[in-house]
Amino acid sequence: MHVVEIQHVAKSFGPVQAVTDVSFEVDRGEIFGLLGPNGAGKTTTIRLLLDIFKPDRGTVSILNGPMNDAKNNLIGYMPEERGLYQDTPLERCLIYLSTLKGLSTTEAQSRLEPYLERFDLAKHKHKKVKELSKGMQQKAQIINTILHKPELVIIDEPFTSLDPLNTQLVKDVMRSLRDQGTAILMSTHQMHQVEELCDRIVLIDEGRDVLYGPLDDIRRRFSGHAVLVRAAGALPHIEGVVDTARHNNALKLTLASGVSPQQVLQDLMANDVTVEKFEIAVPTLDEIFIRVVKEGGQ
Amino acid sequence: MSKLWLIAKDEFRRNVYKKSFILALLSVPLMLAFNVGIGLIVENLEKDSTPIGYIDHSGLLDHPVSAYDENASAAVPIIAFTSEEAARQALLAKEIQAFYVLSADYLATSDVELFYMEEPAGNATSQWYDFLQANLLANYPPEIAHRLIEGTRMTIRSPGGIIEMPAGGPTLSTMLPLITSVAFVFLLLFSSGYLMSGVIIEKENRTIEVIVTSVSTTDLVVGKVLGIVAISLTQLATWILIAVLTVAVGGNLLGLTWLQDLSINWIAIAKVVVIALPSYVFAAGLMFTVGSTLTEAQEGQAVGSLFFMLHILPIYMIVMIVENPLGIQTTLLGILPFTALLTTGLRSIFTDIPLWQITLSAAVQTMCAVGALWLASRAFRLGMLRYGQRLRIRELFRRQPSLAERRAS
Repeated sequence: MHVVEIQHVAKSFGPVQAVTDVSFEVDRGEIFGLLGPNGAGKTTTIRLLLDIFKPDRGTVSILNGPMNDAKNNLIGYMPEERGLYQDTPLERCLIYLSTLKGLSTTEAQSRLEPYLERFDLAKHKHKKVKELSKGMQQKAQIINTILHKPELVIIDEPFTSLDPLNTQLVKDVMRSLRDQGTAILMSTHQMHQVEELCDRIVLIDEGRDVLYGPLDDIRRRFSGHAVLVRAAGALPHIEGVVDTARHNNALKLTLASGVSPQQVLQDLMANDVTVEKFEIAVPTLDEIFIRVVKEGGQ
Repeated sequence: MSKLWLIAKDEFRRNVYKKSFILALLSVPLMLAFNVGIGLIVENLEKDSTPIGYIDHSGLLDHPVSAYDENASAAVPIIAFTSEEAARQALLAKEIQAFYVLSADYLATSDVELFYMEEPAGNATSQWYDFLQANLLANYPPEIAHRLIEGTRMTIRSPGGIIEMPAGGPTLSTMLPLITSVAFVFLLLFSSGYLMSGVIIEKENRTIEVIVTSVSTTDLVVGKVLGIVAISLTQLATWILIAVLTVAVGGNLLGLTWLQDLSINWIAIAKVVVIALPSYVFAAGLMFTVGSTLTEAQEGQAVGSLFFMLHILPIYMIVMIVENPLGIQTTLLGILPFTALLTTGLRSIFTDIPLWQITLSAAVQTMCAVGALWLASRAFRLGMLRYGQRLRIRELFRRQPSLAERRAS
């Protein structure tokens, strides 16, 4: 049973069609990437998921059914923007928000202490939130999202304002949660973080899901378009190669649609080329993202 | 503790430590203290126990009778002089504050001359006229003379007998329903202002996004309203306590006459309260709606000013209300939302408002309150997280598709 199941949802605000048709599922014990350019409809999709907005069309199932108030305590949500009371001391703010997630004050306090220590915020706990740096506020926000041990974590741009050390810390926390069976839906623009953390992704563009599935499958799907070749001497003309470019110490050959890397290799061999390196050029997620969003092709 | 109470408690705590709340809390007591202070100053300025003198050329005061208890602390000694020169010397020496000269044909012409360097105090002047009248009436029986000097104490009553007012104008007792309605207007403007700014701030700093995924909309709305009600009750209790203290101190210890013999017309006050309560909920609901739909705190302040103007509109129509408290226009003002509360307070001074009008007004305010709460809930759901995008009014009233309809489409 999927933790999140969203089917063909659509949502408009007046004349603005924010989400046109989006479907995906998120399973227990996985980190799922929700990707898309600015204004693609990611945040609206998250809000539809959380029942903040009702969809105009389609269905949303979360933790085995429609969202309801009883499920609030099972979900941790971190919006992209800071969601903390700026004029309240950090500790009081986090305890209050945790009590709204069903923890008692004592329980919240005892759970909070180790997190504050781990995130190096213990000495700042009496400061007002607005007195903390952006990075500290981001860490506080992350603590707030996971303190009540939710079954589903929805986290929007978790690495914003974090230095490499804290980024690593947050990644470790996310992996640890995943290993404990928590489903994590992460929305971000940082593709290298997605490549490092996510098992599956959905890419939304102009309110539609344009790419969806396991990350490895997607990269494999896009990898057939180019090969990296290093050969002794110049390469002859090869049928089906539409572009040749230098790439590190090799040549990157972009293949025409329907041309497979095997065909290229056969042609090279047939032309007695001494091949020193032949490798399928696996695109980075950044490249896939740009190709899908800018060029609209897969 | 349920989430509703957590929200209420937090709303209360977040607001009671604000400077604006402390100022609002102290504004009414400070106003009362100011009024009492002014009253004290005026009363003291009007008193001067320095003697006054007179020279009588008419013979009326050859054997003067006293009209005043000269042993009383406020009594001003009245000294007879044989010549204007002697009186002038006494005035220059500041032994007297003024002297009067009755002409020889005073009884025929009533001509009196007054000499002073600074205008004599009010108590001295009134004592002089009492003294003069007492001597003019010296041949009448004392009780008749006393009655003529004291005049008639008339009380104006409404046909039902509930409203009564001295002929000299409203007293503090008759003003109490108005004071109650003004207090409620302040209360609802302050507290609904807190509510609106709280919602806008939470929207601005995105806290609301975290809150709405933690508690139900009902818990959130009701919790916030309860928190605000608790703040209002704190304000009200403080004001009542300070008012009681003011009456006790001002009336008994300082001897301010307008604070003495205070009687409370509970029926008139109850009529105001019956309208005030739904008006309060109506204002809170509207402010919540505004807070949910606006995108910036500054816009909220502008709307808050507009609400303030609407609530105090009856002040600008006070002449019409005073002159015709049972007229059609006044009755309408007493029924319409926004103006009902203050109009009712004003009318209560001058008339006994018919029960059907109070009932109708309370019903109108209650319907508006229910509508405002419904609107608040809708606006919250639809407009809460639309940053930079204003919610259109027609969207508030548009029906949302049901789950079955969404599935079917």
